[in-house]
Amino acid sequence: MSVLEPRKRARRGFVLIAMCGCIFLLLAVVGLAFDLGRIYITRNEAQVFTDAASMAAAAQLDGTAAGVARAKAAVEHLPARWNLGTQPFAGVTAEFSADGRRWDAEPDEVSEVKFARVRAPDNRLDIIFLSAVGGPLNFNVPAQAVAATNPVRLVE
Amino acid sequence: MKRRRFARGHAMLELALSAGVMVTCLAGTFQFGYTFYVYNQLVTAVGNGARYAAQRSYRAATERDIELGNQAIRNMVVYGDAQPTAELAPVTAGLKPERVEVRWILNDDGKPSAVNVTVRGYTVDAVFRSFTFDSRPMVEFPYVGRYAPGESER
Repeated sequence: MSVLEPRKRARRGFVLIAMCGCIFLLLAVVGLAFDLGRIYITRNEAQVFTDAASMAAAAQLDGTAAGVARAKAAVEHLPARWNLGTQPFAGVTAEFSADGRRWDAEPDEVSEVKFARVRAPDNRLDIIFLSAVGGPLNFNVPAQAVAATNPVRLVE
Repeated sequence: MKRRRFARGHAMLELALSAGVMVTCLAGTFQFGYTFYVYNQLVTAVGNGARYAAQRSYRAATERDIELGNQAIRNMVVYGDAQPTAELAPVTAGLKPERVEVRWILNDDGKPSAVNVTVRGYTVDAVFRSFTFDSRPMVEFPYVGRYAPGESER
């Protein structure tokens, strides 16, 4: 049995509660810096990749089925990585369109195709610190870009 | 009296322990937060530089012209401008044009098919620790610019 007066006993419990609150806040702050930082990097990496991949695909389009096949191969062979440059992109899709509205991975009218769209839909990051304070366990950062066969040249 | 002094010692010890944990956590947060911030800037800078390289005319009358073109691309990565003025600061602290590598992928006929831009040996000084990025971030764009083998850089 404790010999401390009731007020002192109550004070002793307060340190534990304060500590828990501090650790919770600390994890939230660390999570904001660490996990959000990684999310923004991934978003940037994925966007740069889809920009380059859509340009690579559009550059191969010449109105033939072979051109569409070359466009898909160009997207597949582009050496790009995400997650601080450590992981290759997975589940990347290339689609084609004649008017920029209806998209098809296997276009019927290949001679009409003028646009290429590349999607990197599955860049799922594990959330480390924010998940410990009630955040999600992982976060997906998809990206997509569209390029045309005859881009306007802005640079000389 | 004795008990109060003992309690004061306890408080000091608790403060020392919790301050140690707090400072370590805050230092780590700053270190990684700043490093990620710089890396994100590098990804943007290299992406912009590579996009510029992919659209720029490839003037290849002499080796010097190719090198001048590469210098313009390095400047675009570092300063966001192909011909920077003296007062222009780099987009990322401490990044220098010589840290940027521009590699052309050429067809059999010498025409460029793609351009690869990367950062070599760039060190982020995050106060408590430094991180070095070598060959990352790396971006490759297909070349869609004008091939001008007989032209010179101005």
